Amino acid sequence: MERPAPVAVPLGQAEVFQALQRLHMTVFSQSVSPCGKFLAAGNNYGQIAIFSLSAALSSEAKEESKKPVVTFQAHDGPVYSMVSTDRHLLSAGDGEVKAWLWAEILKKGCKEMWRRQPPYRTSLEVPEINALLLVPKENSLILAGGDCQLHTMDLETGTFTRALRGHTDYIHCLALRERSPEVLSGGEDGAVRLWDLRTAKEAQTIEVYKHEECSRPHNGRWIGCLATDSDWMVCGGGPALTLWHLRSSTPTTIFPIRAPQKHVTFYQDLILSAGQGHCINHWQLSGELKAQVPGSSPGLLSLSLNQQPAAPECKVLTAAGNSCRVDVFTNLGYRAFSLSF
Amino acid sequence: MSSESSKKRKPKVIRSDGAPAEGKRNRSDTEQEGKYYSEEAEVDLRDPGRDYELYKYTCQELQRLMAEIQDLKSRGGKDVAIEIEERRIQSCVHFMTLKKLNRLAHIRLKKGRDQTHEAKQKVDAYHLQLQNLLYEVMHLQKEITKCLEFKSKHEEIDLVSLEEFYKEAPPDISKAEVTMGDPHQQTLARLDWELEQRKRLAEKYRECLSNKEKILKEIEVKKEYLSSLQPRLNSIMQASLPVQEYLFMPFDQAHKQYETARHLPPPLYVLFVQATAYGQACDKTLSVAIEGSVDEAKALFKPPDDSQDDESDSDAEEEQTTKRRRPTLGVQLDDKRKEMLKRHPLSVMVDLKCKDESVLHLTFYYLMNLNILTVKAKVTTATELITPISAGDLLSPDSVLSCLYPGDHGKKTPNPANQYQFDKVGILTLRDYVLDLGHPYLWVQKLGGLHFPKETSLPSHSSLGAHHMETTMKLLKTRVQSRLALHKQFASLEHGIVPVTSDCQYLFPAKVVSRLVKWVTVAHEDYMELHFTKDIVEAGLAGDTNLYYMALIERGTAKLQAAVVLNPGYSSIPPIFQLCLNWKGEKTNSNDDNIRAMESEVNVCYKELCGPRPGHQLLTNQLQRLCVLLDVYLETESHDDSVEGPKEFPQEKMCLRLFRGPSRMKPFKYNHPQGFFSHR
Repeated sequence: MERPAPVAVPLGQAEVFQALQRLHMTVFSQSVSPCGKFLAAGNNYGQIAIFSLSAALSSEAKEESKKPVVTFQAHDGPVYSMVSTDRHLLSAGDGEVKAWLWAEILKKGCKEMWRRQPPYRTSLEVPEINALLLVPKENSLILAGGDCQLHTMDLETGTFTRALRGHTDYIHCLALRERSPEVLSGGEDGAVRLWDLRTAKEAQTIEVYKHEECSRPHNGRWIGCLATDSDWMVCGGGPALTLWHLRSSTPTTIFPIRAPQKHVTFYQDLILSAGQGHCINHWQLSGELKAQVPGSSPGLLSLSLNQQPAAPECKVLTAAGNSCRVDVFTNLGYRAFSLSF
Repeated sequence: MSSESSKKRKPKVIRSDGAPAEGKRNRSDTEQEGKYYSEEAEVDLRDPGRDYELYKYTCQELQRLMAEIQDLKSRGGKDVAIEIEERRIQSCVHFMTLKKLNRLAHIRLKKGRDQTHEAKQKVDAYHLQLQNLLYEVMHLQKEITKCLEFKSKHEEIDLVSLEEFYKEAPPDISKAEVTMGDPHQQTLARLDWELEQRKRLAEKYRECLSNKEKILKEIEVKKEYLSSLQPRLNSIMQASLPVQEYLFMPFDQAHKQYETARHLPPPLYVLFVQATAYGQACDKTLSVAIEGSVDEAKALFKPPDDSQDDESDSDAEEEQTTKRRRPTLGVQLDDKRKEMLKRHPLSVMVDLKCKDESVLHLTFYYLMNLNILTVKAKVTTATELITPISAGDLLSPDSVLSCLYPGDHGKKTPNPANQYQFDKVGILTLRDYVLDLGHPYLWVQKLGGLHFPKETSLPSHSSLGAHHMETTMKLLKTRVQSRLALHKQFASLEHGIVPVTSDCQYLFPAKVVSRLVKWVTVAHEDYMELHFTKDIVEAGLAGDTNLYYMALIERGTAKLQAAVVLNPGYSSIPPIFQLCLNWKGEKTNSNDDNIRAMESEVNVCYKELCGPRPGHQLLTNQLQRLCVLLDVYLETESHDDSVEGPKEFPQEKMCLRLFRGPSRMKPFKYNHPQGFFSHR
């Protein structure tokens, strides 16, 4: 199909540079505000943009509503992971975790409330923090990333209480098993490890790449994404996307998708996954592909479901990845529109 | 009168009434004398009403007597005559009474008339008097008003104000004591003073006139002297020419140039003046000259009568020729077009010398009917350049000045009015003629002081006067130098060598294995058709003013294609690279995050690759960096355990970590001088 050539606007140096930056932007992480009306997105230049979901979803939404309400430079390096407590937005990237107050974040020149750096072993290169996990029962935050350890930080005092060692290569993702407070971590070394928070020891290890059904050596052995539903766990990455029964450590269903998946989550009775390729895949627990919904980015890195009870009108699924855009799905079946940096 | 009338009447009465009336006549005669006086008085005494009654009674008696006489006469008899006689006497008496009454009546009437007449006369007399008086009053009033309205001429003169008068006038005229009290005297004094002053001024005026005459005469004399001087000065100047040349002060030459400049059309004149001024003040390497035929320029401004005559002659000629041979419509249109696009015979040539002895020759033309300036450019270098194949467009006159300012591509006429002119002669766009006529860039119009309203409301770059000239000249120089630098670089790139200068070596590791194998130009349409350049095209960064190239970097079995967009504003605007790697499948930025990261390394992080000012090394540094990135990519690729055999590319680069972050980035950043690779 012949693409109509777009009109080239006379561009000065600044505009060209801006356009190039936008082209090469990657949105790594998202987080929804406690009131449910705002979405924070962090990109590879270290910027965080706050979008107003309620404005973009309202009936009078204009083009400007799809732009961020405010954008600020949060970190020097990329913002790999973000979570929200009921008052704070916690963002982590190059070795530090910073906290921002949601109530203040919309004002210009917002400064972080605090920043903490876990005690790292190496001093040559500051390791990145790839995943943040909130443990509400203990009111603590678990950080994991480049130094192959899980650090626990108490949110009240800010001290680092535990450092769980066991991974041989850096950690990609974390998941929380609510019932027995256990944390699952997946890493570059291809293993999913379960940690018991009370004893601070490794309870179980699943080396996914060693299982023939799901291993895909040409992709590597790295575990890029994890999600757990008490007894069940789904993980993907280099190996195929697989549903595991945790107690028996056996793979029950293998989802037939070739592209490595970077984010997976349970949603009602479905499993949603996204990764290389521009679609979000809807799987049924039996392994059937229910739907493939295309997004606007060529690869997706993060999915976020806004299930905050305070804003039921903003209940949307947002997906972000290898572009400057965050796709908004009001109905899971199709992409409604995209917010953009 | 009344007596005469009664006298007259009386004889009538006597004649008519014979004898019986005689007796009464005597009586009435005597009575008459007494009655004349007393009748007048009697009238006053008697009552008219009673007289009237008497009259009526008398008439009645007469009637009765006549009736009795009649009776008697009809009866006849003797005694009748006596009775008739008696009665006749009685009736005579009655007749007399009647006559008296009649007289009285007449007298009364006359009296009445007399009285009226008198009264009337009196009234008339008074009336006359009244009229006379009124007339006099009116006359006097008129006189009064005339007097009051009288304006003396002296009021029309603008006299000096009172204070001034008292200040300035000498006391014998102002006579303050007298004039203060008496306004009449005061006015007189003021008039006197006025007269004085006027006399004095008239004197002065005459003196000045005579002065003026004298001075005029002097001027005449001096003019004659000067005009006699002119030929002598000319000969001196001629004689001084060799001296000027010897001392390198070409005043004469500059003078001649200014002479020709007078015939330039206004925009070219402005350009000429600005360029000369700039050259003298700021930039000694700039030289300005005027080319073209002055006579033709003068011919353009022939007086209208002559040209009309010419026209009529030429019309006559043309008529004759049309009879012989009719030119076709196409030829006519062609002629009209040529007429519309006619250039002014004079043009301004500006030569910019750059540091490396290369010269940019700019020739500015003025299109008279379209009222725009165009420029033709040529670059000459100190040494003869061998143009590499891919560098064909770099220095071509058509494109070397394209987009000097962003968006200024010079293919469309900047004057919106030209569109209507073009429609008349069927010219679609000026683009077809730019090769011949020169490019109508916006900065050229600004240099010539021509301002046209913009069609789109783009933010205009502020370019006022002197700053504009300076900025433009600097941009032109950088443009020429960057193009020449690229020219040299392309020559080397085509041979597969990436020419990295020694002061940029620190950006790269010592050993780079990947090699550039191919460097070719690519057409704009072909670039748009490539499957891995769609993002750039969609972002509007691939316009038709850019230059497009394709580079091929190889190492072993891996082939990396790089499509390059070179903006005319290189090197302030960086070239944009899009990559496609063919090794174990095709990887582009849509399916491999690391390729995306490589593109980001050269596109977004270009500032560190600019090298020393003015940054002409950017392109070669970017290409070298691509080679390094390809090395890193291939060497850090994780080994597939299932496949037999060693890795195709053993890791030689020192890296702290191979993968980092959720997208598993490779370590593309080179650290100098430690020489290891890390992540950004």
